[in-house]
Amino acid sequence: MEKVLDIKHLHATFTIQKKDYEVLHDISFSINRNETVCVVGESGCGKSVTTLCIMQLLPNNGKIQSGEIILDDIDLLKLPKKEIRKFRGKKMGMIFQEPMTALNPLLTIGYQMRETIMLHRGLNKKEANELAVTYLNKVGIANPESRLKQYPFQLSGGLRQRILIAMVLSAQPDLLIADEPTTALDVTIQKQVLTLLNDLKKDMNAGILFITHDLGVVAEIADRVVVLYAGRKVEEGTTEQIFKNPKHPYTIGLMNAVPNVDLDDFDIKPIPGTFPNITEEIKGCRFNPRCPRASECPLCFKEAPHEVEVEPGHIVSCHLFN
Amino acid sequence: MSEEKVLIKARKLKKYFPISKGVNLKAVEDVSFKIYEGEKFGVVGESGCGKSTLGRVILQLYPQTSGSCVYHGKSIQELNPKYIQKEINSLKDYQTKASKFYQDSLVYDKKAETLKEQKLQLDSDGSPTDAKKYDKLSQEIAKLEYKSKELKKNASRQLREGSRTVGSLICCANIEEIQSLFTKAEEEVHNAHLCLAKRNELKNRYDENAVNIEYIDTVDDLIAELESKSERSEEEDYRLADLVSIKKKVEHLNSDTLKAENETLRPQIEELDEQIRKHHEVEMSYREQAFAYRGKNILPITERTRDPEYLSKLDENYETGINLSKLTKSEMRTIRRDMQMIFQDPAASLDPRQSIGKAIEEVFAINTNMPKRVRREKALQLLTKVGLKKEHYYSYPHSLSGGQKQRVGIARAIALDPSFIVLDEAVSALDVSVQAQILQLLEDLSKEKHLTYFFITHDLGVVKHFADRVMVMYLGNVCELAPSKELFKHRLHPYTESLLDSVPRLTIQKDRKEKKEVLQGEVPSAINPPSGCPFHTRCSKCMDICKQEKPKYVEAMPNHFVACHLYTEKKGE
Repeated sequence: MEKVLDIKHLHATFTIQKKDYEVLHDISFSINRNETVCVVGESGCGKSVTTLCIMQLLPNNGKIQSGEIILDDIDLLKLPKKEIRKFRGKKMGMIFQEPMTALNPLLTIGYQMRETIMLHRGLNKKEANELAVTYLNKVGIANPESRLKQYPFQLSGGLRQRILIAMVLSAQPDLLIADEPTTALDVTIQKQVLTLLNDLKKDMNAGILFITHDLGVVAEIADRVVVLYAGRKVEEGTTEQIFKNPKHPYTIGLMNAVPNVDLDDFDIKPIPGTFPNITEEIKGCRFNPRCPRASECPLCFKEAPHEVEVEPGHIVSCHLFN
Repeated sequence: MSEEKVLIKARKLKKYFPISKGVNLKAVEDVSFKIYEGEKFGVVGESGCGKSTLGRVILQLYPQTSGSCVYHGKSIQELNPKYIQKEINSLKDYQTKASKFYQDSLVYDKKAETLKEQKLQLDSDGSPTDAKKYDKLSQEIAKLEYKSKELKKNASRQLREGSRTVGSLICCANIEEIQSLFTKAEEEVHNAHLCLAKRNELKNRYDENAVNIEYIDTVDDLIAELESKSERSEEEDYRLADLVSIKKKVEHLNSDTLKAENETLRPQIEELDEQIRKHHEVEMSYREQAFAYRGKNILPITERTRDPEYLSKLDENYETGINLSKLTKSEMRTIRRDMQMIFQDPAASLDPRQSIGKAIEEVFAINTNMPKRVRREKALQLLTKVGLKKEHYYSYPHSLSGGQKQRVGIARAIALDPSFIVLDEAVSALDVSVQAQILQLLEDLSKEKHLTYFFITHDLGVVKHFADRVMVMYLGNVCELAPSKELFKHRLHPYTESLLDSVPRLTIQKDRKEKKEVLQGEVPSAINPPSGCPFHTRCSKCMDICKQEKPKYVEAMPNHFVACHLYTEKKGE
């Protein structure tokens, strides 16, 4: 299998009041072509920062300290700023959570789509228009010609998200980054968009990095899953491994906290405590204040756990498996 | 639910938002339901289905376009609303209007009758030249019949309005006597209400004294304890400064005089309690006298008033609760203490420049005349109750996490011991692990304080595990209403079915038994909703009748209501 994206030992920090705080600590994972990898975690766990690192769009106070981000055999972190622009949009496209803010309200859909296509595919206006129509067809939008003449406010949330997907795909990227693309949508529309992404995966010939906090969505779309907690990777594995045999106490806790529609007698078990702030210093494993099994091993409070491969492809970072 | 006491009864609630002249956004359309005391009533639907609007209409944050919402959590005696006297005064009007409408309708009936005879004659003559005349006659008859029907409807509407205050007595000939008896009862209610206000005033004074007495004894010790600490946190510093100021205030007070005052207050309060009880007794006797007329001297206002079944139906209309839509603004303000709301975004419902403690105290400052110190004590108690630390009293919203902010929202909502809380997507903005914590807190509070929730959410998983009964809404209409376990086991309405199929499951693709169909299309506009059943444009089981007729709301299974033609037909067979 060909690796589209390979992230190795990524460290990133945010500077708050002249002090550096680590938001990503030693993150490594890779995405193969035609594969969907989901990054899950609570808000503040660093999932969005990961995507911003890949796109090199970190805010001014954010900085990548070390690591490698390899897209198509090129390390993005070693490229000069000007070169990165050739990658953004062309080789890696991104879909954001709020489709309204990602589209320009003053321009028609057609203008915005043509702009992307002309820039990345080097086509003239007429050809770009034709291509826009084919891509809108691909994402299941009826009468695309008339849609191209409309403005974003005339479209519903689901349609806007489809248009963004079409726009990203039209550049034929190798990597598609979707940052909570369905969170703002209703369940029925969410299902439509997820089904669309699953269908497109086959002929897209790209890798998908899907960010979400919803474990249900993960089960729906992912091939592999990366679980983040407070800037650290706590578990990684195939969807089957993560859902059938979760190892890390945090992953197990998350699974138990989600109200399951299919089960009748199911008690929602919350994870006690609150998510740590990045300014908080926690010695040892970052999860230890909330971990139900931290008392079993004294190491948890002393040093950070290492990643261990418990079975092929299933990586856990917890002292219990050391 | 241990006892099935209705807390809120909504009847044909409707809420239209005017967009432009003659164009309305039909947010809520004829929604009727009952909420029982101590129940967790869930409402689900997609965005734009009217669930939030419905929650706000119940609380009268939006005035309803039509329909009524009756609240049973507080007795009429406690609130003494003005509309009751108004209703009593207009009882006679209702009666006369009803009989006038009915008499007018009879006139139209007679006219129609004569025209029908003419028509019959034409029939028997059989002359073809009269075809035009014949058509005209039939048109005329239809018009008259329609007019008479409308008038009859108006007549029964008048009677129905009247029956809300006096039941079937509205048809009684002695309506004036009944009016005066009810007016007397109202006076007693008013007197009792005045006594109650005075009693509460004295009680507050009593409570304040009690707190002061306690502080006089303990404030020195508390200060000494804090001062002796080698290291004090910021919060403890605040607390210390606070205690010092409290000390200054209570210094000139003497605990013995306060105790003496409370000794004199107590019998006064008891005396007032006794008076209130007496007023109630007198009031009840007046009502009994009035109801002695039940079933006697019935006037033949309309043809139906002779029917005892109709009369008992009118009796059922007799309202013991408070009709929220008829209250004045200030009355509604009083009742809002009983009916609270928690919003989706906890950050937006807190003032960023107000400390948490002040935010909670504000509730008491506005709604009660509690002295400052009692407010403070109460706020601190509430903080611990909702699982926050006492130190949070001094923190500001920005230093709290989303879950903690929502806890503050909950503290504010339960501060006045309400009986009913509308939770508008209260856990939707929170992370799953925190969401579960908040749900647990809400669950515990409902058990402890016997709260009733109106739980609005779009998350079917949450509603399944939290709510006792669930109502599914689509485009302002109720699709289905059932106990939550029952609903998830036997979903009747096709919309409920597709909604459930759309929920992302925690099982991986390989293990799924069958591939479910994806619901196509999007929710139509509420400005111009589809004819017939609102869901027919997306429904996979759509029939011809669905496009024309709005389905009736029927009880397809015990306690399981559904509005779908699939089930109305089966019932008819």
